[in-house]
Amino acid sequence: MKKKILVVEDEEGLRLLYEEELKAEGYEVLTAGNGKEAIQQLEAGKPDLIILDIVMPVMDGMEALGRIVGKERKIPIILHTSYSGYREDFMSWAADAYVTKSADLGELKDKIRVLLVKGKAR
Amino acid sequence: MKNVLAMILAGGRGERLYPLTRDRAKPAVCFGAIYRIIDFTLSNCLNSDVRRIYALTQYKSISLHRHIQLGWNILSAPLGEFIGVIPAQQRIDEHWYQGTADAIFQNIYTLQREMPDLVLILSGDHIYKMDYRKIIGLHLEKKADLTVAAIRMDRRLSREFGVIEVDGDWRIVGFQEKPEEPKTIPGDPEGILASMGVYVFNTEVLVRRLIEDARSDSTHDFGKDIIPEMIGKDRVFAFDFRHADRGGTGYWRDVGTIDAYFEANMDLISVTPQLNLYDPQWPILTYQSPHPPAKTVWEEEGRAGTAFNSIISNGCIISGGSVKRSILSPKVVVHSYAETEDSILMEGVDVGRYAKIRRTIIDKDVQIPQGMEIGYDLDEDAKRFTVTGSGIVVVPRWIRL
Repeated sequence: MKKKILVVEDEEGLRLLYEEELKAEGYEVLTAGNGKEAIQQLEAGKPDLIILDIVMPVMDGMEALGRIVGKERKIPIILHTSYSGYREDFMSWAADAYVTKSADLGELKDKIRVLLVKGKAR
Repeated sequence: MKNVLAMILAGGRGERLYPLTRDRAKPAVCFGAIYRIIDFTLSNCLNSDVRRIYALTQYKSISLHRHIQLGWNILSAPLGEFIGVIPAQQRIDEHWYQGTADAIFQNIYTLQREMPDLVLILSGDHIYKMDYRKIIGLHLEKKADLTVAAIRMDRRLSREFGVIEVDGDWRIVGFQEKPEEPKTIPGDPEGILASMGVYVFNTEVLVRRLIEDARSDSTHDFGKDIIPEMIGKDRVFAFDFRHADRGGTGYWRDVGTIDAYFEANMDLISVTPQLNLYDPQWPILTYQSPHPPAKTVWEEEGRAGTAFNSIISNGCIISGGSVKRSILSPKVVVHSYAETEDSILMEGVDVGRYAKIRRTIIDKDVQIPQGMEIGYDLDEDAKRFTVTGSGIVVVPRWIRL
């Protein structure tokens, strides 16, 4: 069965890009434009992994991270942001990986593979 | 000590202290006539020079909040000192605290903001006098990630405590929560080391372990989950309470039950109590509203205001009644010909003429009508009050008699 990834990203262009790239890798992709939509998708779509932008309107990724962990303690989460400074926020340590956005999606794809193998084993 | 942040867990329901905890959390329960249980932990902090303090509350927190606001607004904010109360606010997640570790995890933003080097985690439920500088000193000396305060207890009590197993260097090598067959102290087969719920953590290690715990199936409890998990991978040490015991008597009480609460109070009216409240080097602070001094009135045959072996607080009037071996909070009135023996009367209790009270705890503001007897016929008392196994009667607040 295809693994399901939830991409949470407020910039539509990027969201489409990631969606296409990940579909090409063989994943099923769900999308959300902010943290609040992400939580709805978490419940409705039951993803296997979440890629979470931080700076977003409505509900940012850091707040969504806490709420997601409260609902689904073990789901793998990758923080995916243009800013490296959030690494210093304690809450960011609750994510399984922290990937700085780049034109090359290699690092992101590697992390996805590793974390999907690990899955919810914790 | 400026790099230390104290977090006091003050959200316990204290169900076994019901009905004293019907209207208030356990840390807000009155103790020793004028104190609240949390006053001992807060006083320990100030006397230990720990002056950045948060109390984390949850259930029935108004009474506690009010007490801290009125009585403990004594630190200097410009110097970076504070005693703050943080109610459960669902900042991270939409549920009440699920365990002691979850209570701290849900306040991770507070740790982020304060950025202390060390976090001193305490319980607001315990009565003891401890110099926290000593455990912090050991923690730094051992370069520990976590140091847990431990007190020797008889091994037969193991089912009431988290039991710590140490090696010769007092490094913790095992931790069992309420075990039947406890690991005893090396060289002391009748003794166990009980965790006092006093923890010193390096902040970064604390945050990492809390997050790991939050992301796993766990009861989210320091004793059951965090400490056992850390033993294998971090530097975890035990600290012997005797090295920091300001009373020198090894006094530490959980007062988890009505009977334990009653006994711990009654200790205070003995000639030399185990818990010394008179040490000028270690004052126990509290909030007291202003009342005139206690007084006794009437000196007639059969109608004399008397008190023996008792604690009488400000605002009390012993008016022609007799008080023996009892603890009276402020503003208690004992009217003519009334008798109270071996009892705890909380603030504002009024004992009517000819009433007789024995081995009874009466909660705040209760009016005992003329001639009523409590504590003499336990079967009768049990019809309307709580009566404990050892025969202590508890008259709850708000009751109309």
